Amino acid sequence: MTAQIELTNVNKYYGAYHALKDIELSIRKGSFTALVGPSGCGKSTLLRSLAGLENISSGTLKIAGEVMNAVPPRKRDVAMVFQSYALYPHMTVEENLTYSLRIKGVAKAERKKAANEVAAVTGLTHLLGRYPRELSGGQRQRVAMSRAIIRHPKAFLFDEPLSNLDAALRVHMRKEIRALHDRLGATSVYVTHDQVEAMTMADHVVIMRDGVIEQQGSPLELYDRPANKFVAGFIGSPAMNFLPAIGGQDGRSIILDLGLKQTIALGRTVQPGQALSIGLRPEHIELAAPGEGILSAPVALVESTGATCFLTMATTPELSVVFNGRSVARAGDRAGLNFVPGSMHLFDAETERRLPG
Amino acid sequence: MKRFLSSMIDGRGFDIGLVSLPLAFLLTLSGLPLLYNIVMSFQEVDMFSLGSFWRPFVGLKNYRDLFAQPETWPILANTATFVAASIAGQFLVGFGLALFFWTSFPGASWLRGLFLVSWVMPGLVVGAIWNWILSGDFGVLNFILRETGLIDGNIFWRSDPGFSLWAVIIANIWLGTSFNMILLSVGLSAIPRDLYEASELDGANVWQRFWTITLPMMRSSIGAIMALGLIFTLQQFDLFAAITSGGPNNASNVTQYWAWDLSFRQYDFAKGATISVIMIAFVMVASVVYVRSTRHEVRG
Repeated sequence: MTAQIELTNVNKYYGAYHALKDIELSIRKGSFTALVGPSGCGKSTLLRSLAGLENISSGTLKIAGEVMNAVPPRKRDVAMVFQSYALYPHMTVEENLTYSLRIKGVAKAERKKAANEVAAVTGLTHLLGRYPRELSGGQRQRVAMSRAIIRHPKAFLFDEPLSNLDAALRVHMRKEIRALHDRLGATSVYVTHDQVEAMTMADHVVIMRDGVIEQQGSPLELYDRPANKFVAGFIGSPAMNFLPAIGGQDGRSIILDLGLKQTIALGRTVQPGQALSIGLRPEHIELAAPGEGILSAPVALVESTGATCFLTMATTPELSVVFNGRSVARAGDRAGLNFVPGSMHLFDAETERRLPG
Repeated sequence: MKRFLSSMIDGRGFDIGLVSLPLAFLLTLSGLPLLYNIVMSFQEVDMFSLGSFWRPFVGLKNYRDLFAQPETWPILANTATFVAASIAGQFLVGFGLALFFWTSFPGASWLRGLFLVSWVMPGLVVGAIWNWILSGDFGVLNFILRETGLIDGNIFWRSDPGFSLWAVIIANIWLGTSFNMILLSVGLSAIPRDLYEASELDGANVWQRFWTITLPMMRSSIGAIMALGLIFTLQQFDLFAAITSGGPNNASNVTQYWAWDLSFRQYDFAKGATISVIMIAFVMVASVVYVRSTRHEVRG
């Protein structure tokens, strides 16, 4: 597996502000990598550094094996799809698509042919003569992508391309972008703040916070073995429950603190008395009959979408539970709760890191 | 009556009232004089008929007489030169400055604001200052040109027929440049940054970005500034009064100064009105260009 993009020890400063901290990232050729994190985490800065719109302060950035640290954007041979689409408003769709070819000096007939080919793939054929202002949001999005595709670049860079679309179109375009990526065999880097987008589209997810890569790996790896509380809370919807606990005296159990204390046996060892934070995904808590299960708690709120049911339990801190189907329990009822075996994530309460083992 | 009052307070009557006030103002102070001017250009006007509106109608006689005068065509040509050179100079220098300040170095916006001082200055004051700069014997412009070796002897800018029009043009370019710069700066700052980033990634270098993004995106701004420039230069009177008074021997005379000269110094009101009507035609064309170019603004 060859790396198409390779970052070694990359740092970026804006004056005194340290925007990217010791970034180590290797992006496999043909892979779909998502950079995800809350706003201000540095994911866009990282993407713009790949494009050359920002210069990195130190470290090495290689694209297709060549060091690109000081190479201007126009010589990097990467294409970018902007959040605002950045379509040229004074050019028709066809002129927008073929702009890069025109700059390169490609003959007009050839440009037209290339535009027709790409438009056929992205379904823009009937819109080639229109101006961007005459297009809907989804169509503009397609033009922006086609403008990137026509160049056959070394890498596609997407900067939150779906954030200006409505929810239904977003889900649709998500699939379309991924299908296009597979068809072109391209290398894509995709910035988003939406973890669902990252999880569903990418082969490789990079989670960032405050300029640091918190964890990277396949989507399911991140879901199953989050390296710390931040990643655990960021991935998954609804978000993971975190329950305070301390290690039991026998070293093989924990004492949960949900208002009243509850001892739960573990299949592993912990340090007696160690302060812990127990991560438990809402989908890994099962409802049991009242009085049964590991613990029993009153139901505070029942929200149902018909297919899925969201329960909020009146504990401190609140516990959220999600399951398919309908709830027999109503707000105010007591319900028993069971945890799916092996679904508990143990984090050190102080360092917030996952306990080894 | 009651319905009328209530519509004046919160209905269409209020809207019409708001619009009619400035319209009435415009009509009385601009529309009527304009019409009166056009009417006068078809009448025989002398000192004795000045006070009455009903004067002998002479058809196109004033126009025929005007074009029979030997100085008419040279003055029209001077006007064309003055307008074209002033607009070109103001636009090129203004655009250059706008692009320069667009690079946003420290203090750029502060310095750009300072440039507006030249536009705020009254034309007569600007004329007086340029009189010193352009002075043949001790003027600083001659000094610079002589010391850099560009000229051997002094140029008498204001009294040499070959230079007098250009003396006013130079002053007018100085006067109008900052207005061009401000308007073009606004146009430049309205171009979204990400267009440049996109075109940079598409492989365009600085020149290609200028020709394919900046200039086309500035089309409406440029159209507007050209049309306004035409109107402003056709209005430019103070500089002529202050620098050359149209001389020597009409070498720097232009229609707007000549119209005033004919009407209020030679008391030939009919010819003064006639030349004004010819100017109105040109300004109308410019206004149409201006209105069209501001309407056709490109929006993303």
